[in-house]
Amino acid sequence: MARRMLMMEAIRLDQVCKSFGDVRAVTNVTARIPAGSLYGFLGPNGAGKTTTIRMIMNILRPDSGTIHILGDESIERAKARIGYMPEERGLYRKMTVAKVLRYFGQIKGVTEQDLVRRVPEWLDRLDLTAWANKRTEELSKGMQQKLQFAVTVINKPDLLILDEPFTGLDPLNADLIKGIILEMRKQGRTVLFSTHAMHDAEALCDSVLLINRGKVILDDTLVNLRSRRRSHTVCAEMEGDTGFIERLPMVTAVTAEANRMEICLADTADPQQLLRAMVDRVRIQRFEVKVPSLHEIFVDLVRSSNVEDPSSRPA
Amino acid sequence: MWKILQVAQREYAETVKTKTFLIGLLMVPVIIGGIILFASRFAPNQGGPRPPMKVQVTDLSNAAWPSIQAAFDQYNQAHPDRKVIVEALEAQPSADAVQAEAKIRLRERRIDAYIVLDRDVVTGAGKARLYTFKPTPADLERLWTIEGQIQRIVVDERCKARNIAPEVLAEVRNVSVERVDIGSTDQAQRVEGRDVIGIKMMIPFFFMYLMFMGIAVMGKDLLNGIIEEKNSRIIEVLLSALSPFELMAGKILGLGAVSLTVIGLWAGGAYLAARWQGLPIEVTAGLGVTFAIYYVLGFLLFSSILVAAGSVCNSLKETQSLMMPFMLVSIVPMLAWFRLVQDPHGTLARTLSFVPPMTPMVMILRLASTPDIGIGEVLLTITLLGASVLGAIWIAAKVFRTGILMYGKRPGFNEVVRWLRQS
Repeated sequence: MARRMLMMEAIRLDQVCKSFGDVRAVTNVTARIPAGSLYGFLGPNGAGKTTTIRMIMNILRPDSGTIHILGDESIERAKARIGYMPEERGLYRKMTVAKVLRYFGQIKGVTEQDLVRRVPEWLDRLDLTAWANKRTEELSKGMQQKLQFAVTVINKPDLLILDEPFTGLDPLNADLIKGIILEMRKQGRTVLFSTHAMHDAEALCDSVLLINRGKVILDDTLVNLRSRRRSHTVCAEMEGDTGFIERLPMVTAVTAEANRMEICLADTADPQQLLRAMVDRVRIQRFEVKVPSLHEIFVDLVRSSNVEDPSSRPA
Repeated sequence: MWKILQVAQREYAETVKTKTFLIGLLMVPVIIGGIILFASRFAPNQGGPRPPMKVQVTDLSNAAWPSIQAAFDQYNQAHPDRKVIVEALEAQPSADAVQAEAKIRLRERRIDAYIVLDRDVVTGAGKARLYTFKPTPADLERLWTIEGQIQRIVVDERCKARNIAPEVLAEVRNVSVERVDIGSTDQAQRVEGRDVIGIKMMIPFFFMYLMFMGIAVMGKDLLNGIIEEKNSRIIEVLLSALSPFELMAGKILGLGAVSLTVIGLWAGGAYLAARWQGLPIEVTAGLGVTFAIYYVLGFLLFSSILVAAGSVCNSLKETQSLMMPFMLVSIVPMLAWFRLVQDPHGTLARTLSFVPPMTPMVMILRLASTPDIGIGEVLLTITLLGASVLGAIWIAAKVFRTGILMYGKRPGFNEVVRWLRQS
């Protein structure tokens, strides 16, 4: 199944729009999520991430545009192959942990034979075995979150859609879930997860889709993104008199600490020019063009998008 | 279909194992049984001691007083803890003056009753008047006793005056009419007493009440379940695996099965209790089948409406106001049951049979009271009810789909109509 999916798009959005009254939550969103990828769905609060995810899951219907999921226009046919963890978590409070997991497995079409094996397996993997016969209302928030994750993956989905999956988890449990997500990707499953924690996206994703005020402002792989967004900051370590550096025309600012310097260049300047200017006058021990972090890219893009489109209303 | 069954199974299992369900299951028969027991044990004629009742009597006929005194002496001996003390009051200086004084004493609660026997009460068609002042329900039983005693004494005195032996009169008046239901065979023939006729009247009511309770109790559970799922935000998780229709249908099916279990147990328990008490209960298989059909259709109709209404609410308090129309619709057959049972072919019965929300209760009432309801009428009402059920499910599915994911302000009627037009 996973091999076949490599050849197709797991999710395809074409010109999808959604408004709530006068508020345009999502405007002409077009995106292709390749099968087998780990896609980060980024955006500030109220950008339209959850609305888009809800439309993908057919919980909300788009006002216009089309959505294909796992090659099918009807999500109803694909539901058994999807694992969805919504932003608003919910479990039956009076049911026991094992029963909840079992029930969701049943309605997701997992066979009785598989459930007998998978329920204890997942409980064990998420350290919930001791709580198997407790009511879910007795669990801590973090444990409920883990159970919710188990509910999402109990059907071994080909496509995993997670809305803010790490919110409310301590670092240990967040790492546990991240490990499972990476493992699923290795198995060829597609994972789309929304977050506004950039370090999570940076650590996990192959590609990111950035949405702001209901519009896609970036859709690319992380590798492409970093290579295209050249940095204007150089980190250098050197010996000798460095006073000339801040007087160079291409340099806009210098921060020095012992023999380490962080040199900011003008927008049009090339770090190679700086290197050439330095190499005859000081002894260079380290010269590194700083790679922009996803956080910086995010902040930069969202700010410039807000400047370019001030009329857009937040979702 | 498989998913609907899975949802139904969960609803069934999670409902029947709750304490509130078990309490509800047992409480209804316990309360009804308790009321019957209480009524039979503590009926007014078997009540506890009462303070003596003071009654003054002015016998203008001068013929009945000795008998009255003797009769009440005898009564007081038999009922020492609820005596009736009678006292003669001469009509001096005049009957009117005595009567006026007696009325004052009555109003001052110095006496409990005042009796005046007309001058010609024995010889002619004179009356006996029993004066009271705002009697309480607790006094009624002894006032009936006094009335009965006076009536009997006057009849006896009239017999004496006309040279008729009271025993002869009693013999002449005693005409026993025996009602015999010949049954389908001679072996099935039996004499029907008043209790049997009473039971025959109550069976249709019992069926209707069973239907009402089954639908009302489960309707409440249905609403509770929807509100819980909505408030615990579980809906989105459910809808990632199920379609809204599958979820709705599963819930209705599951709780429908619970309600069939409940009314099955209540009906079975009532039947066994009646048999144990030797009460002649006759329920044909045909009535059982038609009850099941009307019950299922009625349940589907009401639960679809409740599901749709519940999906747009955010709290149990809001749902309570939605139960009101259901109660009002159900109360019509409840109020009219006696008339419907007595006249199952009347205009009222026929008209209400074709009002879908009332069809199940009215039809089962009619069918249980007479076997003469035409098959055509039964099929027609079932068809109309079935069509209403399909319409209600169609509307409910549309409202449920949008309403279940809405939080905050309850949508207005116009907005709900817009949902129906969409998609």
